[in-house]
Amino acid sequence: MKSSSLLAIGVIAGALYSPIAALASTLNVMQTEAPRSMDPGDQTATYTAALLDPMYEGLLARSSDLTLKPALATEWKSDDAGLVWTFKLREGVTFHDGTPFNADAVVKNFARHLDPKRGLAASGRLRTFIDSVTAVDPMTVQFKLKHPYPAFLALLTTGACLMVSPVADAAGTIGSKAVGTGPYKLAEYKSGEYVLEAKNPNYWGGAPKGVGEIKWTWTSEPSVMNMALQTGDADVVSPLPPAFAKQIDANPDMKLNKSEGSAVFWLALNTKLKPLDDVRVRQALNYATDRAGLVKAIMQGYATPANSPLAPVTPGYDKTLASYTYDVDKAKKLLADAGYPNGFEMSTIVQEPDARLGEVLQAMWAKAGVKLDVRRMESGVWAKAAFADPVGKQTDGTGSVVASWSSGVNGADLQFRPLYYSASAAPAGANLGFFNEPKLDEVLDKAASTLDESARNALYVQAQKIVNDEAPHVLLYTTQDLYATRANVKGVWVVPGGQIEVKDATKN
Amino acid sequence: MKAYIARKLLALPLILIGVSLLVFLAIRALPGDPARLMAGPEATQTAVDDMRTRLGLDRSLPAQYADFAYGAVRGDLGMSIKSKLPVVSEIGERLPYTIALAITSYLLAILVGVPAGMAGAIFRHRWPDQIVMLLAIAGASIANFWLALMAMNTFSVSLGWLPLLGATSWKSYILPSVSLAVLPMAIIARMTRSSMIEVLSQDYIRTARAKGVPAVTIYWSHALRNALLPIITIVGLNFGSLIGGAVVTESVFNWPGIGRLLVDAVRYRDYPVIQGVTLVAVTGVVVMNFLAEMLIAALNPRIRFD
Repeated sequence: MKSSSLLAIGVIAGALYSPIAALASTLNVMQTEAPRSMDPGDQTATYTAALLDPMYEGLLARSSDLTLKPALATEWKSDDAGLVWTFKLREGVTFHDGTPFNADAVVKNFARHLDPKRGLAASGRLRTFIDSVTAVDPMTVQFKLKHPYPAFLALLTTGACLMVSPVADAAGTIGSKAVGTGPYKLAEYKSGEYVLEAKNPNYWGGAPKGVGEIKWTWTSEPSVMNMALQTGDADVVSPLPPAFAKQIDANPDMKLNKSEGSAVFWLALNTKLKPLDDVRVRQALNYATDRAGLVKAIMQGYATPANSPLAPVTPGYDKTLASYTYDVDKAKKLLADAGYPNGFEMSTIVQEPDARLGEVLQAMWAKAGVKLDVRRMESGVWAKAAFADPVGKQTDGTGSVVASWSSGVNGADLQFRPLYYSASAAPAGANLGFFNEPKLDEVLDKAASTLDESARNALYVQAQKIVNDEAPHVLLYTTQDLYATRANVKGVWVVPGGQIEVKDATKN
Repeated sequence: MKAYIARKLLALPLILIGVSLLVFLAIRALPGDPARLMAGPEATQTAVDDMRTRLGLDRSLPAQYADFAYGAVRGDLGMSIKSKLPVVSEIGERLPYTIALAITSYLLAILVGVPAGMAGAIFRHRWPDQIVMLLAIAGASIANFWLALMAMNTFSVSLGWLPLLGATSWKSYILPSVSLAVLPMAIIARMTRSSMIEVLSQDYIRTARAKGVPAVTIYWSHALRNALLPIITIVGLNFGSLIGGAVVTESVFNWPGIGRLLVDAVRYRDYPVIQGVTLVAVTGVVVMNFLAEMLIAALNPRIRFD
């Protein structure tokens, strides 16, 4: 009895003291989910990417005006066909563990993605277009692409292409212990509590401008985020739930930040299922959708009604496209023409957080005679059902899927190809409604191999028109990126799509 | 008695094997695919298949279970799919926080619940009893989650008295312990009340009263000792529900315990972590039940085990 109570006291005493106290020079950032890996090449989540960003760099980087700038590569050029790309690397860069950064490190970084046996989470896309990566000399690398790929340079700034220490990768520790070349390095990772990042004194770019330490925490509870900002437990919260935006905006101790985002929300219609195989029915659903109402009801106004499958920040977006107006009579007429004068019944699957979206659509479509059965699902269950093949969806009676996609500033191809290209039909890709339109495939392939930007964007305008006409999706809205900071925090910005950038942030 | 203990101890491994098999199969029966979740929505099917191979999920279920069981016997619960850390060290780091929270909550529940229940019994059908019962009903029916958020908003945000999140000082224990203690406190108060009422109507109490034994001695020494049995039973057997409550409380308060670990693991279908945490939690419940039974037997020699 005695020894067990002693043990209990010991356990409590041990747990009481955590080594990290809040420091003025610590920037506390709170996000909605825990990091999925310390290896940027083994995860694809926006919020993990934000947390890894101060510690890792790629050959190129994106500046806050969204242009591409040199990072670990100082200059680059391609051949006329856009197939062979040569990069000059920056001299005098070392990883946090002392490993030198050079052509060998770049080659090893890409080799791990091109090796299917590694099965890294972010490799898939690179393997579709990179043929090989070789060292020309110790500070020059050459990429050979399988086919021209307009998003190539943009992708070099993202997760899969950020440079990890090849020594740490070979040791197998990179997943739990980040080792990059960035201005901050990993100080401590307590998987249940926080990730702490400290300044890298040996940074090639000189002493980092930002705060002394960055501490990342996370909660899945929106109201806790709001409270953490109020108490000062968090200096930055991202993304801010729209429900709290007005309250934050009214508080002089805090700053609400909103900017054009890149996540397009939509409802993918199962084009293999009757009556959704009829384009008139799909158009009718588009006419029956009050987008402005959705933006108000679901997003508290912090979103833009969608008129295109692309977000306004995506290169190639055409703002002149005529979106479907809200017109119940037109919807009814189209349904009658298609042979459903009394409407029909269909289902949609939504993840828990989007459940209200489904319910609002249900009410809107009811006016046109469409009875929508909203099936709410936990995210893991939803992912399985959403990526089911045509037979699976037929069996489950899945008429549509509510989802969103954010290719953001990385190019229109990354929005069109996964969502609408015929070979991306689920489960192979995220074409969840099995849309098959050879005309669109052709335009997308042509755009992907067009190096001239204005000619390429003209092709993407064509593609937007095809998608709008054929209506494989009911396009809903593009969200704004919302985040909030304490008033004394400066230098935070967000890449459209929600990746928060804090490495240059200061706090006074 | 000894034979009973021996039998119980022998049954423990069998229970664990049964539970581990059940958990192993149950999480694999859950819809949702860890390879798909890890690879992300943008992954091609080939990439998802590569991921599945890497995680060893393409092998047969018996092979996967054999691997898990063989590892568990050697104290190796595998690697977390998400954090890439050994499950044993993940649990080892978090378990003390959960145990510490459980102990403070139960102490609180007993220290408040027992006297409250006694007061209810002593002042039966009078106003102290009515207040205690009203609070007990409220405590048993209120949503833990809602209570936690209200408490945070009041004591951390508005008044600024207590830390909002995490486990940083002794003050961090107050809000999570209280919100976790409310349910067992209510149950203990009701149990204590009804068992005290029963004891107080017994002949020996009436005799003691007639002999002029002071009321304090009667209540605390004669009656409470006999009323303790059901209380211990409740405390021991409700350990499982405490773990359940910890899942919610830890998530709301960002408490670095195994409850929060489990929630995260379920979201990402992190099979090794789900298996590990469940195994540890079930072991805890089985051991607590066993200890409660032993304690009851020790306190009440009339209980026979055969």
